[in-house]
Amino acid sequence: MPETRPRIGVFVCHCGKNIAGTVDVARVAESVSRFPGVVYATHYEYMCSDPGQALVQRAIKEHRLTGVVVAACSPTMHEETFRRAAEEAGLNPYLVEIANIREQVSWVHTGFPATEKAIRVARTVVEKVQGNRPLRPAEVGVVRRALVVGGGISGIQAALDIANAGFEVILVEKSPSIGGHMAQLSETFPTLDCSQCILTPKMVEAARHPRIRLLAYSEVEEVSGFVGNYRVRIRKKPTYVDPAKCNLCGECEKVCPVRVPNEFDRGLSTRAAIHIPFPQAIPSTYTLDAQNCLGIVPLRCGKCVEVCAPKAIDFDMREEILEEEVGAIVLATGYELYPKEAMAEYGYGTVPDVIDGLEFERLLSASGPTRGEIRRPSDGKVPKEVVFIQCSGSRDPEHHKPYCSKICCMYTAKHALLYRHAVPDGQAYVFYIDIRAGGKDYEEFVNRAMQEERILYIRGKVAKVFREGEKVVVWGADTLTGKRVEVRADLVVLAQAVIPSPGTEELARKLRVACGGEGFLREAHPKLRPLEALTAGIFLAGAAQGPKDIPESVAQASGAAAKAVAILSAPKLEHAPEVAEVQEELCSGCGICVPQCPYGAITVDEVAHVNEILCEGCGTCVAACPSGAMTFRNVEDEQILRMVRAALEAADVGV
Amino acid sequence: MKVNLAVYWTGGCGGCDVSFLELGPNLLGVLSRVEIVFWPALVDTKREDLERLPPRSIDFALVNGVIRTAENREMAELLREKTKFLGAYGACAHLGGIPGLANQAHGILESVFGPNFRPAPPIEGYPEDAPAQVLFEALPLEDVVSVDFVVPGCPPPAGLVARFFQAALEGQISLGQVFAEEKALCEECPRKREERRITRVARPHEVLLDGEKCFLDQGVVCMGPVTRAGCGAACPKAGMPCTGCLGPTPKAGDPGLAMLSALASLVRAGEEGEAAFPEEDKILDGFVDPIGTLYKYAFAKYARSLAQLTKRREGMRA
Amino acid sequence: MSGFEPRIVAFLCRWCAAAGADLAGTSRLQYPPNAIPIRVNCSGRVEPQWVVEALKAGADGVLIGGCHPGDCHYVVGNYKTRRRIYLLHKLLADMGIEPERVRLAWVSATEGARFAQGMREFLAELKRLGPLHENGGEK
Repeated sequence: MPETRPRIGVFVCHCGKNIAGTVDVARVAESVSRFPGVVYATHYEYMCSDPGQALVQRAIKEHRLTGVVVAACSPTMHEETFRRAAEEAGLNPYLVEIANIREQVSWVHTGFPATEKAIRVARTVVEKVQGNRPLRPAEVGVVRRALVVGGGISGIQAALDIANAGFEVILVEKSPSIGGHMAQLSETFPTLDCSQCILTPKMVEAARHPRIRLLAYSEVEEVSGFVGNYRVRIRKKPTYVDPAKCNLCGECEKVCPVRVPNEFDRGLSTRAAIHIPFPQAIPSTYTLDAQNCLGIVPLRCGKCVEVCAPKAIDFDMREEILEEEVGAIVLATGYELYPKEAMAEYGYGTVPDVIDGLEFERLLSASGPTRGEIRRPSDGKVPKEVVFIQCSGSRDPEHHKPYCSKICCMYTAKHALLYRHAVPDGQAYVFYIDIRAGGKDYEEFVNRAMQEERILYIRGKVAKVFREGEKVVVWGADTLTGKRVEVRADLVVLAQAVIPSPGTEELARKLRVACGGEGFLREAHPKLRPLEALTAGIFLAGAAQGPKDIPESVAQASGAAAKAVAILSAPKLEHAPEVAEVQEELCSGCGICVPQCPYGAITVDEVAHVNEILCEGCGTCVAACPSGAMTFRNVEDEQILRMVRAALEAADVGV
Repeated sequence: MKVNLAVYWTGGCGGCDVSFLELGPNLLGVLSRVEIVFWPALVDTKREDLERLPPRSIDFALVNGVIRTAENREMAELLREKTKFLGAYGACAHLGGIPGLANQAHGILESVFGPNFRPAPPIEGYPEDAPAQVLFEALPLEDVVSVDFVVPGCPPPAGLVARFFQAALEGQISLGQVFAEEKALCEECPRKREERRITRVARPHEVLLDGEKCFLDQGVVCMGPVTRAGCGAACPKAGMPCTGCLGPTPKAGDPGLAMLSALASLVRAGEEGEAAFPEEDKILDGFVDPIGTLYKYAFAKYARSLAQLTKRREGMRA
Repeated sequence: MSGFEPRIVAFLCRWCAAAGADLAGTSRLQYPPNAIPIRVNCSGRVEPQWVVEALKAGADGVLIGGCHPGDCHYVVGNYKTRRRIYLLHKLLADMGIEPERVRLAWVSATEGARFAQGMREFLAELKRLGPLHENGGEK
């Protein structure tokens, strides 16, 4: 801006009688007109009306104003209006400020003090405008491609929604197949439809979608950049099997001499080193697990290669590092169950017939290790008495996790009900603290389990679970009757707490996304921005953000996808220019500003740099900067100090 | 042509006068080009000699020390009158220095000896042996005369003194010049900055200090981030945190409050939130001497007027 | 000193306290006019230097209105402010200035009544403390 003397215009609004009924508006205009820097001051009945705005516009031109103060209602009402009007008249909109003399003066005070305060308020804002610089919103281009991390139901849904909106998606999944935990489930509450039956078509759709690039057995290594312009390094682990050639004949698996616990069956079965996680896996191919393979290093065993007719197995496959650019990122890294091994009271996971909810899902699943028959792990017998323990590790701030895992009430009811269907002469007990069935048709479902299926719900906590001969003894208390309860069960199912999937915090660190105390990804605002991370352009979906059931996960995934699409479809990203700014000639690079920023907008090399697209403009870093090198556009310290002095100077009310 | 030089010592420790020796052999070169017209610590010159000089006949005068007594003030005014370029030399003249901390008390003599204390000559002594007339406040030089430039430090480091002489001898001093860097000390500090969080506030002797790591990362308050560079980070290199003797960077404002804000911003007791408040307060309570740490040298210049408010009110009530 | 009218500068976060003050207005809740509001984006932008400058320039008290813990529009700005003001209170006390003259208040956008009430309480507190300045408030 050329170094000219400020020429400020002040426009005092009557707002009908809203202001003028209390505040002597003429006196305000008259008093402020004598304030240094003010060259024009007037008052008018309705400044926000068309004639009012025209008055402002005319004055801007006639008096060559370098700044405008409208003393009127709250800036939340008409700041936009007057800034637009000023822009039309050729004045940069950031040289317009509102002095709130209605909500904060005329409506709350009376008499002469109201007029005096109105004068002071107007003067402070005149001081501010004198220090304002003309600004222009920052603009940046957008890479029209999204990254979705995690191939569970949330990730699949988000990827499909974004791809169907017309944008490319890279879907990264850590394990050999997408599908996530939903693929492990038997039937889903409250409708009892088969989980795989509803999931598989979506998996196939994702795999076949022309705009989705599926990278299974891959992990995000590194992320840099910012909204609209992220650069991602993805490590694709070698599967040693060419998916294009593999015809799923399964000969390799039969000859493989290795047997290791099958992760997909939660260790209730075993698998070979070369394996397919489950028959419907996508990508539809075998994977050679190099850690357990005898063949790769050193080359000792090659039995699978010998039997592979299509010659799909390639021991020389190497890991690949892919560099991709994306405009938005959806994190859908899902959950894991709190380990049984952490449950001292329930035998530290050493009792074979004490299993967790996902293990029970595998027992219930038609494709599971028992083909859907419920047989307990220790001896394969059909359990006749099964105890389900809810809140195992949840809602227990002293020993385990303080929060409610949300899905357990429902899946435990489902488990008990499916067990009763499978073993009609069996007895199911459910220990619960209370039942939280807040969802569509959920309460009805639990009631059905209680009433129609004669499942015994016992309100109380289980103190101890231990093995005695072939039985698993459960000691608990019924808090409704106050009596001690002992059940000599054949099988105990723990509804273990839901925790973030392993690696969530590490990934969050790479992305500069915050995790809450319990390690779940933290949303930008708990109520108003539940789908977004604090870092612009990164969105959250599914249980990675907190325990969630399938419909909620899908809903959040679609929401996150819509948010991502909003970024990808914008011609350019615009960002308000009133943000922090480094005076590099004064910055010593001490780095105190960096941890102040919740948005990861500040980086430091020799000096600090603010990414103005990421900066949301809170100014916390500016107040923390000791040397004064970090400044805030149009809220400079000098401006505020002048405002403070103007607020306190004896009010020239003019008599 | 030699330039006329005056050096005077007001309320200070004398270290500033000695600091010229740090120029080492370069001092000889400097001395060959200056004419010392007044420097009581070095040559036998008296106040009368100064009074006899015509106005503006001294090219450069360096005043070190705080203005503590009426005589200090008179001498500063006298030097101002006789000098073309008057400089504050050292932290006391620049910021009030350590003697400036006396402004915490409500009149230093009154607060020590009681309200009825009056300076008087010793019994059977000469009147001129009476204690000097002590001013109510200890003031930086700029509060009694206009100051043209500053050679900061406690005492000014040799490099900056040399820089001053070079500029002075070449006639290259500009009004308001401070002979130090505009950036903060961190610019020169070799210590590694990593965590940028404070989980405990400790004094240097209370922790086993890592010589490679930033003091702040170890919970020790270092004034480096708010203090001008120019000394080569002498203290941090010698194992002690910066105490701020070169004064604040040009845009820092009040260095004590600027550093207070930075410190409080860096404190962390686990995840931020209401649950962490008590623990955060405990960490902040560990900061035992805010005034002495934040305003070791700059109290007179920056905090005096605030501290005076309470004293005025005490006066009002009395 | 019955005529003492304390002078107050109020730094208000635009998302919570300033909005709360607006709500006090739309609800027509009367409160004393002693405070001049200065709106900022976040209480985290408020610098201890501003507060002290206000005290030096004639204010008898300074109010900082920020979002309730957990509700900061910028997530964690108010936590920084809280710690800065906590430390500033210590410093002011060491200088002989009543820390109560600097008040940090959590006011949400829905708490118009709380804003008005807080203003009344702060004013009462400052009247109890008396003027900070020699000529303070006497008209």
